[in-house]
Amino acid sequence: MAGLTLEHLFKRYDNSGKKKKTVNDYAVNDLNLKCEQGEFVAFLGPSGCGKTTTLRMIAGLEEITHGNIYIDDCLINNLQPKDRKIGLAFEDYAMYPPLDVYGNVAFNLRAKGVDKAEIDRRVREIAPLMQIEDLLEKMPVKLSGGQKQRVNIARAIIREPEILLMDEPLSHLDGKSRQAMRIEIKRLINKIKCTTVYVTHDQLEAMSLADRIAIINFGVLQQFGTPTEVYDDPANEFVASFIGEPPMNILETKIIKRNGVFFFSFENSNLEITVPQRYYSVIHDGFSCKVGVRPMDVMIGGEDSKGTSEQIATFENLGDERRIGIHVGNDLLMLITEDEKRYKSGDIIKLEVRGEKTHLFDIATGARIREKP
Amino acid sequence: MARIKFENVKKTFGKVYALDGISFEIHDNEFFVLFGPAGAGKTTILNCVAGILIPDEGTISFNDQLMNLVDPARRNVAMVFENYALYPNMTVYDNMASPLRSKLYKTDENTIKEKVNGAAKMMKMENLLERLPSQLSNGQKQRVAMGRALVRDPNVFLMDEPLAHLDAKLRNAMRTELKEMQASLGSTCIYVTHDFMEAMALGDRIAIINKGKIIQVGSGDEIYYMPTNEFVASLMGEPQINIIPSTIKAEGNKYDLCFDVLGKEISMEMPVDEKVMAKIDELDLRCADIGIRPQHIQYSFEKIEGYFKATVYSYESIGNKSVIIADCGDYQIRMIAPNGLRVQIDSDIYISPEVEKSIVFDSGSKKYIVRYDEETVKAFATKQEVR
Amino acid sequence: MMNTSKQRVLTALMNILLLIYAVFALFPLLWMVMISFKADTEVFTTTFIFNPTLANYKEVLFRSNYARYIIDSLIVSGGAVLVSVVVGVPAAYALARYNFPRKEELAFQILSFKFAPEILVVLPLFMLYQKMGLYDSYIGLIWVYQLISLPLLIWVVRGYFEDISVEIEYAAQVDGYPWYQIFFKMLIPLIKPGLVSSALLAFIFAWNSFTFPLILASSKVYPVTVAITKYLGTDTARYGNLAVAATVSALPAIIFALFIQKHLVRGLSFGAVKG
Repeated sequence: MAGLTLEHLFKRYDNSGKKKKTVNDYAVNDLNLKCEQGEFVAFLGPSGCGKTTTLRMIAGLEEITHGNIYIDDCLINNLQPKDRKIGLAFEDYAMYPPLDVYGNVAFNLRAKGVDKAEIDRRVREIAPLMQIEDLLEKMPVKLSGGQKQRVNIARAIIREPEILLMDEPLSHLDGKSRQAMRIEIKRLINKIKCTTVYVTHDQLEAMSLADRIAIINFGVLQQFGTPTEVYDDPANEFVASFIGEPPMNILETKIIKRNGVFFFSFENSNLEITVPQRYYSVIHDGFSCKVGVRPMDVMIGGEDSKGTSEQIATFENLGDERRIGIHVGNDLLMLITEDEKRYKSGDIIKLEVRGEKTHLFDIATGARIREKP
Repeated sequence: MARIKFENVKKTFGKVYALDGISFEIHDNEFFVLFGPAGAGKTTILNCVAGILIPDEGTISFNDQLMNLVDPARRNVAMVFENYALYPNMTVYDNMASPLRSKLYKTDENTIKEKVNGAAKMMKMENLLERLPSQLSNGQKQRVAMGRALVRDPNVFLMDEPLAHLDAKLRNAMRTELKEMQASLGSTCIYVTHDFMEAMALGDRIAIINKGKIIQVGSGDEIYYMPTNEFVASLMGEPQINIIPSTIKAEGNKYDLCFDVLGKEISMEMPVDEKVMAKIDELDLRCADIGIRPQHIQYSFEKIEGYFKATVYSYESIGNKSVIIADCGDYQIRMIAPNGLRVQIDSDIYISPEVEKSIVFDSGSKKYIVRYDEETVKAFATKQEVR
Repeated sequence: MMNTSKQRVLTALMNILLLIYAVFALFPLLWMVMISFKADTEVFTTTFIFNPTLANYKEVLFRSNYARYIIDSLIVSGGAVLVSVVVGVPAAYALARYNFPRKEELAFQILSFKFAPEILVVLPLFMLYQKMGLYDSYIGLIWVYQLISLPLLIWVVRGYFEDISVEIEYAAQVDGYPWYQIFFKMLIPLIKPGLVSSALLAFIFAWNSFTFPLILASSKVYPVTVAITKYLGTDTARYGNLAVAATVSALPAIIFALFIQKHLVRGLSFGAVKG
């Protein structure tokens, strides 16, 4: 396994037949990343953001417009895909239909001319890792989606690559299969400890599998950090609203001062939230910005709560938890609680917010406004 | 608005019994959810209500009027299909206007304009009216499909997994929007889904269907707290309920629960609950399956007195919380944990389930026997049914 | 993708090969057109230099019965395609929507009519037609032409119907539309590309048919493909006239094909690919 470095990577498509909305026409715009040896990195972002394009440049399937890619310290820009020591597990399985599973997994090694005994040893070593030992004789048409995916990954790792590249491998599976496969991939990566780059648009996948996540939007890197970092310390509004399900509530607010205390006030709503002390150094009376708070950090206040009273717009009982929506101007503020009390639309509750879990964002750029230390 | 009644409806496709004797009654203006896994027969039921399929046996009636042989066109139902079924060569406006332009529901163009614009406003898609279906995303198509149903004033709204093909974020957002719209629908609604969150959040009552048969009908809370069998219990709740196969040893007033964890026999004293103990005595219960929801499992990575040892199989985030799955030999135990923990796969974990929150199932038939706090839960759950 | 100069050499090579093939394929046609402008004495010259004359055209088009032959071709080919559309579209719908025993066998059997060489079936048909009084009649030819036009039409249109999700019909039913409105106002517009392109292709095949009109018709029904043989005189072959007859008879097919070439590939393959 090896480290991967992307240096000032750019990609522009000459024939913009691709309906991408890109800044200045660049599908990938000045991407800089350094992955350590053995690290599991996720490229996360909405469709069309450039994550697959970047992966394909690393694989050698797309030409690099500008910039450099290094595996360890070796510049690989001009190497053919087959010389780059990578393993590919792509979205659409692409199994060779006339070969059985054994043949599919061994294909690359046979092509390289590795001797039969060695091939057999490696296939039988990998098969239990991906739980495909009893599938080796089967033909691709007889496999389920999840089974095909495991064979796909086995085929990629048997090459003992320096870097494993996976492009949305679970997107064709349904909810429960996806969950189960995620757990298996995690266990596998834990065993083989291969440097992996995993492309997905599902933030749940990224959060549960990756050591670090690179969040990309419109070809530009938004943040590169651990799941905890991107969850608790988002760099901007995009990251904050993309990570976390249900998404963070982000509301436009104007700060007002009353009796020496600052409050977040909201248009067309009488909701008021006290501003935490730590922001005092960066705000002033009349300051407009956006405030973000996750639904689990909004709570129903007790009888003696000092929070404002709000009317419930929607109440969803989901068995394990309850979700309440409250209109704040044109937006819907969501809160999640495990409180057993059942409400209905129109009921009044008091709202409290965990101040230390709020985030401020610039109203124009969306960048995070951090408190001065 | 209409009351809808199914009496012993059967439908076969070739040799397969898609519906095997379905009977239920839906109240006027009720939001009724059909919930079950794929292939259970939910869409078949919907198609029978719409008149697209005719049952082989049994009767379907709207307000006590027999409907079996009535044309779909004459039943006055509005349907939202799973893959939207938008007319590809018509604009969004024309798609939504189409039911009002048919011979049966002929309306003048001015009223059509009013109704289409009203529905478009409710579905927040006024700016899409001139587009063709091929120019819309899945989420937008879904709104058009719903809008086409909303322009009508039907006996019943039928919705077949309308949120199925949307990504998780959009699905959650649309579900909340649907909830808000519920009150203004003004008609009976039958909603099909395989997502339990949709079922619980939206349904006044839920019918659980599997393999062409109705397993249970009740409010969300009834089904969540008192599931008719293990199958129903495992459908509701994310992560899935834990089922621990155990034996019960009764000695005088002490009842012990014994089960196997990784080859070791563990024994836990069962907390006292009159009803539970009475049932155990009545049925002379020796073995049972104990169902405990993941949020009622205590755990620790350090050894604690009274906790038993298992091995960590996985640690997975599911959004606003995480799940630890522990390997206990023949079965696994799922428990809720906060996000961002450092968990080592295959490490030791110490577990203590809160037996006082559990449900007791028969180990043979898998049916519900009793649960802790049954009286309180019953009162609580049935109170919610009044809408 | 990495070596662009290699790509360029390959592309140039492909283009040269294609050019050679194009010349090879088109040359006979070009020669035939040239002959149609040559006087009888010059027909056998092998150079491109000659004195063009319109005498052949005048003789064939104005002094012989050529117009009548073209009309006969039109009636028979057009009639055949019309019948195929009226019969074939509902048949395609049935094959797409309904499930009945041995459905695929039936579908394949219909397609197989196109595989059989015409010469194989034409003799038994000759005897049958004589007995039935269909020999040398328009109806007889239109009917037998179904072997040429129907299979292709059904196969393509069926693919198009299969691509329309059946739920659209359910939605229209639920919206209150009767079945004929659903069929004509909703379904037909959606299969139009496939219908048009396969109908036109069927027309071209029917127009070009030679064996059937030769054996199953004589003087009353005389499509242009058979008529061309008339210009092979008993003592001499009037090549100039022959060339004119052939060239003009090929025109409708060429014009149609050029007209629909864009739709032809899309129309014929679109319905067939399942996602």
